[in-house]
Amino acid sequence: MRMKSLVLGLAALLMASSAHAQDPGVTDTEIKIGDVNILTGPASFIGRAVSVGSKLAATEINEAGGVNGRKIVIATEDDGYVPARSFQALKKLIEVDGIFALNGTSGTANVLAMMPLIEENNLPTVVTTAPSELIYDPVRPPVFTIGARYQDAFFGQLKYIHENLEPENAVYGLIRQDDDFGVTVEQGYDRAIKELGVKDGIRLKYKRGTTNFSAEVVQMRAAGVNVLANGAIIAGAANVLSEARKLGMDLQVAAVWSEDMPPSVKLAAPAGYPYLVADYVALNDEATDAFHKLAEKYLSPDEVGAINRYSYITYVGLKVLAKAMEGCGKELTRACTIEQLRKIKDFDTGGLTAPISFDNEKQLSGTALKIYQLDPATQTFKTLVDFTDYSPNE
Amino acid sequence: MDFFLLLLATGLVSGAAYGMIAMGFALIYKATGVVNFAQGELVMLTAYIAFSIAASLNLSFFPLVAVTVPIAMVLGLVLERIFIRPMLGEPIFAIVMVTIGLAVIIRGVTIMIWGPDPFDFPAGLSTNVVFIGDIPFYPAQLYALGALAVLVAAAWFFLHRSRMGIAMRAVAANEKAAMLMGIGVARVHALAWSLSSAIAAVAGILFAANFKLGPDLWFQGLKSFPAVILGGLDSVIGAAIGGLVIGVIENMAQGYLGQGLREIAGFVVIVLVLMIRPYGLFGEREIERV
Repeated sequence: MRMKSLVLGLAALLMASSAHAQDPGVTDTEIKIGDVNILTGPASFIGRAVSVGSKLAATEINEAGGVNGRKIVIATEDDGYVPARSFQALKKLIEVDGIFALNGTSGTANVLAMMPLIEENNLPTVVTTAPSELIYDPVRPPVFTIGARYQDAFFGQLKYIHENLEPENAVYGLIRQDDDFGVTVEQGYDRAIKELGVKDGIRLKYKRGTTNFSAEVVQMRAAGVNVLANGAIIAGAANVLSEARKLGMDLQVAAVWSEDMPPSVKLAAPAGYPYLVADYVALNDEATDAFHKLAEKYLSPDEVGAINRYSYITYVGLKVLAKAMEGCGKELTRACTIEQLRKIKDFDTGGLTAPISFDNEKQLSGTALKIYQLDPATQTFKTLVDFTDYSPNE
Repeated sequence: MDFFLLLLATGLVSGAAYGMIAMGFALIYKATGVVNFAQGELVMLTAYIAFSIAASLNLSFFPLVAVTVPIAMVLGLVLERIFIRPMLGEPIFAIVMVTIGLAVIIRGVTIMIWGPDPFDFPAGLSTNVVFIGDIPFYPAQLYALGALAVLVAAAWFFLHRSRMGIAMRAVAANEKAAMLMGIGVARVHALAWSLSSAIAAVAGILFAANFKLGPDLWFQGLKSFPAVILGGLDSVIGAAIGGLVIGVIENMAQGYLGQGLREIAGFVVIVLVLMIRPYGLFGEREIERV
């Protein structure tokens, strides 16, 4: 009896010490992945889509046996797009839920608010919805970013318009938000003006939340603008185009990638402009068809209805993270996962994005962009340019 | 000249929306002495109700308004009964806080019911451009201007020619005296909320038809506040005129002075008006003898 107790005690001690060797969020059967997202408020269509992407990837991975036998469990917290709440949400995920890594990460300011916790806990983090320089420059060791820059997206579109659509007597114009996001849009516009040598008609700024753009569009018309870098988003972008249509303006339009999402398209298409969008995510080919088939197999109709570009990219994010964790074998730690993420090269996303590589100084991938054009009648996009890298040569 | 006229025309259109929302503020203030901080939310909620009605019944504009306005009036009555009536006799500050709470509740409920996505809502109106002289308009923009004119005429007639309107002015002038004269103050308050909701419905439908329908529509309530201050908090017709003036000032500021100035132009007007004529251009000066 005494011997049996001793053996059991030793076994318990061994198990306990092996548990201590592992980082939080990992058991013999599960790996807990965190997701801080916008699930309430006007931007919650982004957060819902993000969660759907994570859930689908987790379901698919688990159906195939999990990561080295461990199932992925997603723990989601709402931040309402408020950076202070993002910090609280991640703190809860780390201290209460005990997550191992982070996939859904909300917006740029939100990721920055969470950054001290991410660094302090050495939390492997894949950022898919905030590809801002502020996130990956300076490089934080546990943070890996997927996505192109707004600068390159606008430059690529304006370059396409200049070289392929060749508007007569081209006068370029810009409208953008008076914030960090707007600055990146203007940087892309500025580069296009300089490199393409085209006429810069007017640059306008507006406050976030503006709905009435009538005066701005009158200003653009007076400046003779016929190529517009439309840095407004969702209803704002649609209202700009609606006013332009009323004034009978003949425009070639470059838009932000949020304008390829169904809610935005429904708002903007009635103005009738076949605007361009550059995106680091596929919108309309076999890859997205396959994604939807998979979603219909595993998800509810409501969840399928919430799918948009953010679902594709977050799905890709979790797949990459799973690939890295798989590389660690049974001894799964955060340090090992970060090391494995750093080795990711040409990871095939099935065409949802360009192949993912983090083996670069910035731990940044997905800089290649596709350029699409809207058909306002059918509210669908056709691909004009396949994945191309428009980053400046440094 | 073309530039000026376009700015003027579009300024009047946005000003018409401000004016209608401001009329709702002024009507409740005139009858109850309370600034209803949920007025923008009422505009948003009634616009969403109209959107659902239009989607399910496929109505053109006038039938849509005819169905939505009575629903909005009942909604106004219900909100007054639940949130405001129990506060009768309480300090004004407490009642204002209740309207702020109501605003937050309406915002939350709207997103719970209709979701966060914005919608295109032509409200049963054509989207073909029409010209008045050389100036292009969408029909919804002309309807907004027409609706403001009709509401101003109706408000004048109601306040000066109808028994209830005169009772409302009496309550506004001196609530205790009105009560002693046999006027049902609670009924007047309820009517003010009901009529204010009706105006909110018209404003909401036409604003959404012009600028899309989204959960941030409530913000137009705050944007309309300079119009109420300019016109005078207790002047329903002054608020309408104030809306037009603010709309034009905002557009001219943006068009002629610079980028982003439109957003602050209205509030600059508030500060100036409060410094020079604190009771607004059309409001009544309160004289207190000491």
